[in-house]
Amino acid sequence: MKEPIIKFKDFGFRYKTQKNPTLYDINLEIYPGEKVLILGASGSGKSTLCNCINGLIPFSYEGEITGSCIVNGVETKSASIFKLSNSVGTVLQDSDAQFVGLSVGEDIAFSLENDILPRKEMVPIVEKNASMVGMQDFIDHVPFQLSGGQKQKVAIAGVFGEKVEILIFDEPLAALDPQMGMTAVSLINNISKESEKTILIVEHRLEDVLYKPIDRVILMNEGRIVFDATPDELLRSTMLQECGIREPLYITAMKYAGCSLEGNKNLCDLNELEFTKENEEKLKAFFQEKREELPEIHGTSEIKFDHVSYSYSGKRNVVDDISFEIKKGERVAIIGKNGAGKSTAAKLLCGIIRPGTGTITVEGKDTKDMSVKEIGEKVGYVMQDPNTMIVKDIIKDEVGLALTVRGNSQEETDAKIQKSLETCGLYKMRNWPVDSISYGQKKRVTVASMMALEPDVLVLDEPTAGQDFRSYTEIMKFVNYLNKELGKTILFITHDMHLAIENTDRAIVFTDGKIVADDKVFAVLSNDEVIQKASLKQTSLYTLAMKLGLDPEETIRSFIEYERGVK
Amino acid sequence: MNNRMVINYTPGPTLLHKLSGFTKVFLFLVMTVAIIATYDIRILVPLLILNIIEIVSMKPNYKPILIVFAITFVTVTLLGNVMLFLVSPDAGLNNVGGNHILWQGPGRLYISKEFLWYMFVVFIKRTTSFASVMAFALATTPSEFASGLNKCGLPYKVCTIVSLAYRTIPDIANDFVNIRNSMMMRGVEMSKKASVWKRLKNTVYLLVPLIFTAFGKVNDIANAMDLRGYGKHKKRTWFAENEPTKWDKIFRVLTIVLLIATVYYVVMYRFINPWPAKFWCPWLAREEVISVNAIDTIFFMDWFKK
Repeated sequence: MKEPIIKFKDFGFRYKTQKNPTLYDINLEIYPGEKVLILGASGSGKSTLCNCINGLIPFSYEGEITGSCIVNGVETKSASIFKLSNSVGTVLQDSDAQFVGLSVGEDIAFSLENDILPRKEMVPIVEKNASMVGMQDFIDHVPFQLSGGQKQKVAIAGVFGEKVEILIFDEPLAALDPQMGMTAVSLINNISKESEKTILIVEHRLEDVLYKPIDRVILMNEGRIVFDATPDELLRSTMLQECGIREPLYITAMKYAGCSLEGNKNLCDLNELEFTKENEEKLKAFFQEKREELPEIHGTSEIKFDHVSYSYSGKRNVVDDISFEIKKGERVAIIGKNGAGKSTAAKLLCGIIRPGTGTITVEGKDTKDMSVKEIGEKVGYVMQDPNTMIVKDIIKDEVGLALTVRGNSQEETDAKIQKSLETCGLYKMRNWPVDSISYGQKKRVTVASMMALEPDVLVLDEPTAGQDFRSYTEIMKFVNYLNKELGKTILFITHDMHLAIENTDRAIVFTDGKIVADDKVFAVLSNDEVIQKASLKQTSLYTLAMKLGLDPEETIRSFIEYERGVK
Repeated sequence: MNNRMVINYTPGPTLLHKLSGFTKVFLFLVMTVAIIATYDIRILVPLLILNIIEIVSMKPNYKPILIVFAITFVTVTLLGNVMLFLVSPDAGLNNVGGNHILWQGPGRLYISKEFLWYMFVVFIKRTTSFASVMAFALATTPSEFASGLNKCGLPYKVCTIVSLAYRTIPDIANDFVNIRNSMMMRGVEMSKKASVWKRLKNTVYLLVPLIFTAFGKVNDIANAMDLRGYGKHKKRTWFAENEPTKWDKIFRVLTIVLLIATVYYVVMYRFINPWPAKFWCPWLAREEVISVNAIDTIFFMDWFKK
């Protein structure tokens, strides 16, 4: 029996600034060469656990450690972070912030520089590590020229030292679009296979990580390890819902169809999954069942793009001759990979930039003659990161800002603030400082500050990026309420396929500044050609349909109809 | 990203670009000392020509350089000279040491040949320092700057601050645009429609989220650096610091020659055989130079004496 490379014994940790411990009773052994997923919702303690392994605790975060944690034969309590960094490489979540060099080569060389390696010896190592992640042709590139996925590859190359035996990936998928996420998961898998290093992946997006095999899953909840076994066993258990983790879509479908999860081989890998005969029949019956059709939306025209083009430099059109119409009360997903033109389209809609050719009308009025301020009263744009929107320190003032700058009277402003806060469920917190609330609540505040102007359209830019399932559910429930009860038109700019399936009626797909599809969401998601063109990720429902020999479009439609019917 | 600003992030292809960071920083520092220490056109003009050759050899995008130059020329030189003329028309007498009056204006205002010479030399001096800064900025990437400073003896933690600052400038600019857009949509007027004062006031709104998003990243950056062993040893090496080539050696020798020449000049002309005025002037021989105590000629001094 091999010795464990990481060994926690009765380990606990409490941050100096917090009253209660973040980790309790951790007993865990990880063996060399294992590929382990550490799964958990935000605040479950999974990142803290990793920081105990790589030495950031206690080096950067002070606190009280109980029990013992031995990494590669070293007790972390007394070891320096530098000693640990020789054997543990950590790729952090924010691929941009951890890029400290001013070029790809420099960033990969960063730890070598700190080891006082002469430049002559550094260059071949940098080249070798860069080619391992496929970045050898980008050595001179500056961070501003790279995509999120490329930055992450550089980060991996930068921690991949000779002596490193453990690689930790902290939420590697958080900042990536679906296609890049798949590439990242494959890359991690290749490293694991070729290098025999121990790999720890910290994530909450189970389905995306399971794209490639995982040896073991450790599920964390509220500072404790609640589950430690193979992914198959995890999917069969009921632990996922209890811990706020989204289960893979095909598992949800199987549960809807009343399938038993016992007895199916390779449950965690849909391609290799062998259904029992009984399950196969149940699934087929489920997907072919006739259900109440999704209601058509026949509203008046709310937004209309008519042959709109735009270019930043005057050379290439970032948005190229696009036309679409959105009806009042619709929920539409604008999808496409980063740089496909979807954010530019949103900026055009809000009037921050103006179309080179073509017209944009909101409620039948050409926006050409409206100022950004005036458009803002009709279309509320909620940015991805609420921290970039909030300027006041008290919630009430933040929500009222747009009204105050418009010079509304005090009573009118107060009344509108109150209404908006009540709609958004923030009235009780109106006098709270913004710093004291959670990320999801901040998101709500930014929506509330838009709602104060009573716009008819809300544009939400990546509303669920970096959110765990619990926070995602909370935000979407709120947005759906605004749509159903108040009749707001909702535009999601997203690459989250789950969001599109669960919360939208229609999807408009952008690729290279053009619209390649504009149809019902199930029709778009079952169109393999569109998905490939737009570099999106096929949902597992599609794969499931193919496996069962069913029509993907009908399958996805049936799933959506069932889901909406239940809710 | 390149050429949009004067800051150069990727090394260019020309000879100067390829010199090591230390060579460039060393040359720049010595050049700066030479420019500051001398008011002598016989030294400034060769340095100016040298720097212009350097700039031209790098085939840069001239537009931003000329824009910055035009702005500094108009504001600093023109405005400065007019003010100087009004406040102290004696500057020619004080600094150059001659008084060949060309035009006698009302009251105490007059223009002398020496005053024009003074303005001309000051202009050349400013232009030379501008050209030397430009040549340096165009030739050097921020990382070469950091590694070069470190080699010149500055502690490496200070040098890292320099390169990290350059690393974050474009990110902050990006955040700024995003935040401004979101503010505009909420009705905070940022366009030319609002008065300057109002726009200035509204800009304050942007600073809060800008500072908070920037600070949010500090922790991540610090962690990323700790995890990769930053600060492990008292020294570190630099990937950006190229091995010195033949050209590096040539440039370093030239820099040392310039350094010696500057020191020699300062010692000779200031201490051993000091020139009687601050500025050398072609039409004034040593005996003709009038040495004036500058304090006496400040215009309000007359009132004190009364």
